[in-house]
Formats: sequence, structure tokens, C-alpha cells
Amino acid sequence: MITIIKNGHSTIAVFIVLVFGFVLFYNGTDGFQAFTAESARTYDINQNQPAFTNVTLEDSKERTYSFKEFAEGKYVFVTFMYTNCTTVCPQLEMNMAQVYEQVPDKYIGEDIVFLSISFDPERDDPATLSKYRSYFGSDGETWRMARVNDESELNTLLDNLGVIVIPDGEGDFTHNSAFYFIGKSGHLLEMMDYTLIDEAADKVNETLNSEEGV
Amino acid sequence: MKQAFYGLLLFIFLALPPVAAIMESVMIVHMHMQMTLLAVSGLLMARFFQIKFPGFFRKWNSNGVPGILLFVIIWSFWMIPRSMDEALTIQLVEIFKFISLPFLAGIALRDSWTKIGSFGQKIVFVFFIVMFSIMAWIYIGADSQICNNYLQVEQQTVGWGSLFFGVFLLIYVLQLIFIDHSQYE
Repeated sequence: MITIIKNGHSTIAVFIVLVFGFVLFYNGTDGFQAFTAESARTYDINQNQPAFTNVTLEDSKERTYSFKEFAEGKYVFVTFMYTNCTTVCPQLEMNMAQVYEQVPDKYIGEDIVFLSISFDPERDDPATLSKYRSYFGSDGETWRMARVNDESELNTLLDNLGVIVIPDGEGDFTHNSAFYFIGKSGHLLEMMDYTLIDEAADKVNETLNSEEGV
Repeated sequence: MKQAFYGLLLFIFLALPPVAAIMESVMIVHMHMQMTLLAVSGLLMARFFQIKFPGFFRKWNSNGVPGILLFVIIWSFWMIPRSMDEALTIQLVEIFKFISLPFLAGIALRDSWTKIGSFGQKIVFVFFIVMFSIMAWIYIGADSQICNNYLQVEQQTVGWGSLFFGVFLLIYVLQLIFIDHSQYE
């Protein structure tokens, strides 16, 4: 301590270094908010609310339609997965099922629909999706599982919503997971942490309830 | 001065686009090798700056505290998962990596290390042991990916690598404390 007091220049230098460090960390983490690129992406996407790309879906019942046709002025609760996934996806879909349970029946299918999109169209054909669907209590109508066959459409969609999918070369993917809550106009309302089930369900119910009051 | 020249050579080699691209393609090489070597190139080049501008270092870093703080801050910044990801996706961040690690962290470390004395050095060691342990804990334990540009397996490798560094440093510090080095001199 004494040496620091004795030496004015060092004190000033320490001060400058600390200020520099603060600015560096502040800028690098969006004000101590986002320490991973993933959280930065969430932050950015929630700010920008990108539109949901109007992809063509093929669901577990072999029906083909566009996202807009499916959504038709409803809220949509979306996740991205592939059925071969043994780690995050089952958890993701399980949590999605719990959100689905928590939404009052009167809204389901009327004001909100659920959609699990596979980013592995090669393997996730309707039959596979149909089997996978049954594990999570998805009815195939108000909660559908579908693949996007057009590669460029799929990539645009993933890109717009900040879904990163890296194939590991052995048929598996490293990917980020989240709940995507899409508004009636087809824009993203909120990207939510898929591990916080109750918070996500509350958010959805709140939005649906406030809609009813209007 | 010879070592400053070798430092410069090392720096230029690391900055060659194909070399950088290869090193950055593997996460653990990116974090524990490229970044470390960049700092090492700065350590070597520091000699040049110390000889050219002795007054600057004497005046502003007389007790070594500002320098070592700068080193610790820069190094910690690059251990944030996001910084590493953005070095790959944002050109400006990549340039900042190549400037900050050698010219801020490396030079600052060289000039400060002897000045802060053995007690200060032990504090720095402890800081690094703690930091590597935290990294090991985060990267090995995380069940979802932290970095968007690397596979989860790679992130776990980094975790184990960090653990190795941490344990290695711990053993080094323990022997500093418990072995009487004067007997060997």
C-alpha cells in the first residue's frame, strides 16, 4: 500500500488500467449481461424480434402446408430438435410438454398452437416423427411435429432465429435450444430459456389472458 | 535484442491467416495454445520496448502493479466464452486479440513480474489456479453448449485442459512454498 501511495504515477496507471478493464468487460458482455455468444444472441434476438420465415412444413401425418397456413393468426410455441438426439432434445420436448399442459384447454388450438421443427429432414420422416410425437403426448394437431424439407428455407429460418446447428459428422448435432414464442403477426415475441418451464408457461398464459380482455 | 526478434517472428507466424485458421479450428488449441503463444511472443518482444522506452516503464509501472493488473484483465477477458466466439465471427475482435495478448498482456507481464516480488507472484498464481478451476468446472460440467462455434466435446476438452493447467500451477506453487530453494542454489 505504502509503495502505491508514494508513487503517484503508478496509482494513476492502476486507475487507468481498471477503467480500461471495466470498459472492456462492459462492452464485451453488453453491460455484464451476456457472457456467452448464446446469451448475446438471445439478447439481440429479443431486441429485434425477427419475423418467422414462412417455411413449408411436412408433419407427422404427411400433410404439407406453410407456416402461415398453420399459424393463421394464432400464437405459436416453437422448438427445434431432431429425433435421434439423445441429450438435450428429449429434455426440451419434455419441458415443452409441461408448458403445453399448463396452458388452459380453451386456448389450445384456438389461440395458440405448438410446433416442434426437426432440422434433420433426412432421417425425420413423417413415420419417425409420428413415433417420436407419441412419447411426449403431442396430439399431432394442436401440437405438431414437422420437418422442413427445403434446405435453403430451413437454413434461412434457423439463421433468422439464431438457431445454430453444427453436424458432428457422425449423425449427431451440437445445437442450441430454446422456446420460441411467436406472436400473431408471425414475429418472434420472445425467446425463452427452455429449462424455466413455469416462467415460460406464465409468459404464454399472461399473453393469452391479456388478449382475451381486449 | 535477439529474443525480441524471435518474439516478432513468433507473432508473425501466429498471425499468418492459414496458421491462425488451423489453430482456431480446434477449441483447446485456440484457447490454451494460440492465446498463450501470443502472450509469449509479447513476453519476448517486451525486451525491445524496455530498451527503447525505459523511462515509460519506470515512470508508469514502477511497482509492477498496474502492469500485472493489465495482464490479468486482458487474460481474463479472453477466457470469457463469448470473447472467443466473437474472435471467430467478428473481425475487429480478432484483431483486438492479436494486439491485446502480445502487446498489452505479454509486455505488461514481462515488465511487472520481477517488480511485484515473490508475494505478488504468489497472488497471481493463486488467481490463475482459481480461474482455471472455475473454467474446468464450467466447461466440463456444462450440459448445454457455451460456445456456439465449437462442439460440446471440444468444450469439455478445454475444461480438462484447464483443470490440468490449474493442477500443474497448484503443484508448482506448493513446491515454491514447501521446498527450500536456497539449498539448491
